[in-house]
Amino acid sequence: MKFDDIIIGGGLSGLTAAISLAQAGHDVAVISAGQSTLHFSGGSLDLLGCDSNGNAVESPLEAIATVSDSHPYKKVNEIEAKALNAKQLLSEAGITTTGNASANHWRITPIGAIKPTWLSVDGMATVPSSQAMPWKRVALVNIINYLDFPTKFLAAGLRAKGVEVEVKPITVPALEQLRKSPSEMRSTNIAKTIERNGLVEEVATAINNATGNNYDMVLLPAVLGIDSSATSDKLLKLISCPAGYVATLPPSVTGVRMQTLLRKRFTALGGTFFTGDQVVEGIFDGNTLKGVRTAKLDDTTLEASHFILATGSFMSRGLVADYNHVYEPALGVDVEDHSLNRKSWAVVDINSNQPYMEIGVKTDDQLRCMKNGEIITNLYATGAILSGHNSIKSLDAAGVDMLTALQAVNNILK
Amino acid sequence: MATETQTKNVSINNFEQCLKCSICTVYCPVSAVSPAYPGPKQAGPDAERYRLKNKEFFDEALKMCLNCKRCEVACPSGVNIGDIIQAARIKYNSHRPKLRDMMLANTDFVGTMASPFASIANPVLKLKPVKAVLHGVMAIDKHRTFPDYSSRKFESWFKKEVAATQENYSKHVSYFHGCYVNYNYPQLGKDFVKIMNAVGYGVHLLEKEKCCGVALIANGMPKQARRQGEVNMASMRKAIAQGHQVLTTSSTCTFTMRDEYAHLLDIDNHDVRDNISLATRFLFQLIERGEIKLAFSDDFHKRVAYHSACHIERMGWVPYSTRMLSMIPGVELVMLDSQCCGISGTYGFKRENYERSQAIGKGLFDQIKEVAPDCVATDCETCKWQIEMSTGVTVENPISIIAQALDVEKTRKLNALD
Repeated sequence: MKFDDIIIGGGLSGLTAAISLAQAGHDVAVISAGQSTLHFSGGSLDLLGCDSNGNAVESPLEAIATVSDSHPYKKVNEIEAKALNAKQLLSEAGITTTGNASANHWRITPIGAIKPTWLSVDGMATVPSSQAMPWKRVALVNIINYLDFPTKFLAAGLRAKGVEVEVKPITVPALEQLRKSPSEMRSTNIAKTIERNGLVEEVATAINNATGNNYDMVLLPAVLGIDSSATSDKLLKLISCPAGYVATLPPSVTGVRMQTLLRKRFTALGGTFFTGDQVVEGIFDGNTLKGVRTAKLDDTTLEASHFILATGSFMSRGLVADYNHVYEPALGVDVEDHSLNRKSWAVVDINSNQPYMEIGVKTDDQLRCMKNGEIITNLYATGAILSGHNSIKSLDAAGVDMLTALQAVNNILK
Repeated sequence: MATETQTKNVSINNFEQCLKCSICTVYCPVSAVSPAYPGPKQAGPDAERYRLKNKEFFDEALKMCLNCKRCEVACPSGVNIGDIIQAARIKYNSHRPKLRDMMLANTDFVGTMASPFASIANPVLKLKPVKAVLHGVMAIDKHRTFPDYSSRKFESWFKKEVAATQENYSKHVSYFHGCYVNYNYPQLGKDFVKIMNAVGYGVHLLEKEKCCGVALIANGMPKQARRQGEVNMASMRKAIAQGHQVLTTSSTCTFTMRDEYAHLLDIDNHDVRDNISLATRFLFQLIERGEIKLAFSDDFHKRVAYHSACHIERMGWVPYSTRMLSMIPGVELVMLDSQCCGISGTYGFKRENYERSQAIGKGLFDQIKEVAPDCVATDCETCKWQIEMSTGVTVENPISIIAQALDVEKTRKLNALD
């Protein structure tokens, strides 16, 4: 089967590239081995949150100029324009966001920490600075028996910043049913129950009864808006006090929505999505990748002029570690720092800088992959699979995903 | 040694690869509408650890699983979650199947009995009092109507009308028509023969064809399913020995014979599996290799919405069917969101499942009504019943749409048959 471009990986990076190429009129396929880490999204996208000393970054655009030479951003031109493109691409898919690349704002994590971020999905509660909180009195609303919203941690985090917090448990009869199977009272099932049964008004009434007009801010678990933001927007409007969402533990409803909307956008542009399939072999001709074979298509080779490898890091199995080395399983392209041995790629203190986080696929300055030291001229790598940065420490995962994808698309189209 | 342990220690259905990430739970159509169902993560890899210790941990709620396999498609870690659940049902369920389940599951026996009396059976099965009895006594939901039985089986038509001419072709395939084509909708089989003949392939029936067994597996009759599966495999081996590919027009039969036989029924199909293919896939591959060409008539125009049936989604073969449809100049193709329609073969016919079945399909039905296509295309026959009943929109197999659009004369010329 022949395409103009094939993207291996259907997460944030892969879909960003796929949508951009489809918009340019290309016939594009995405091959995705299971769902992506967007399902763990906090509802915000980070561009660069911390500098190399671990200090919070005020302006990502300024700080990006100072990242180490190994950082993927060094291979991205016109960062500011690409950051705008990324925001625009999300918006066209139905994911509207607040924020810009000149100045970080702050997101609230499910366990009550405050972190710098670039874009937050509209409706997420954010604060302009980590120092002074904009609210004196906050109601922290949770649904009774919903365990993936740790209100004690959240309240403690906010109180440490000088906010007065009251926890307000609420429920409606339909949600009480959800604990029939104790394990299944999950964010996404709550969202589906409220949306499919048209319970937004009922939930709003329950929240208003608990909070009245007495709070500067009502914080809610982000358990609404699985297909679109229609219901989550509606609920915020119905609440008497100012209100916003805080991310829950996985699965993330906001993240599922982002995944769903990006895929829909790609399909609407005529893209082909190979679902739940895995690339098992690359067919190379000298320094060119001719096609890929997958686990499910048997003797069919998927051919294209250009390929993008956006299969993610260890969590998504874009990278695999065994006892002796780290390798890239789909195409066997070169991995940077593969000579590190097991003892040196991890550090005992789990919170310190883990060297394995910087292991990734080796690319040239145009983001092209290598195999046995030779550049593959039509194979690009983007997103979390790239080497040279620690996305947990520098808070730059989504930025790297989207900006390297847009850069690879530029390199392909030029 | 350490490497050996790490790389060679593969658990049954890969269940130890479960990271507990919970992504599968997002895509379970059942737990979203039935809180009593424990969901794929709990019902699958989590509870499997307990069941391996003690069979008392088997939970009857597992029978609510549709076997749609959407959990497996979503799993980023390659765990066969649906297989774990189905295997547990086969291994631990101690209840004997009810008469109703035996009747629903024995599609070819019931079809053989009903076909000669189709002109009587079809209207009778639609009568309110009959439905009330089925609902009350048999627990077959009164909202359902059985698909019409055809008065003439596909096999009878084939043998009488076209079998004799099939040897005139230089290339040959075997056709596993399935129960639906044989007893309910021979037109799909006729459409298939029309296309294959037009591109120069003779079509042959298998020496013996039994129901693939999917309904037997779902209704707790794995032994009978295994017996029927062995018959199919033996017939297919003979066809393959003659150089035939075995083609189907049903995604679920294909999936069952390729994957479920080995995973759930312990049937050794390794030498047959790769030779079983969906007709759309086979045609696509022939076209891509330049071996055949299709010509379509200029006056065929249809706005077609494609529904990704669960089992073709699991096989990863949706693009073969959609790319085939896209080749027809008069087809405007709209992709529907990939979600379960809720019927899952015999599941949705049962009184206890009816409401759940419709609640699962609601999102799909709403989208179809919004898109308002001329027809819906899907590779699964039971999705067809469900979508037609629930939306009123006609549903066609992609093969039927290709056959309708095909210009047979031009196609024969293009393939140098005339």
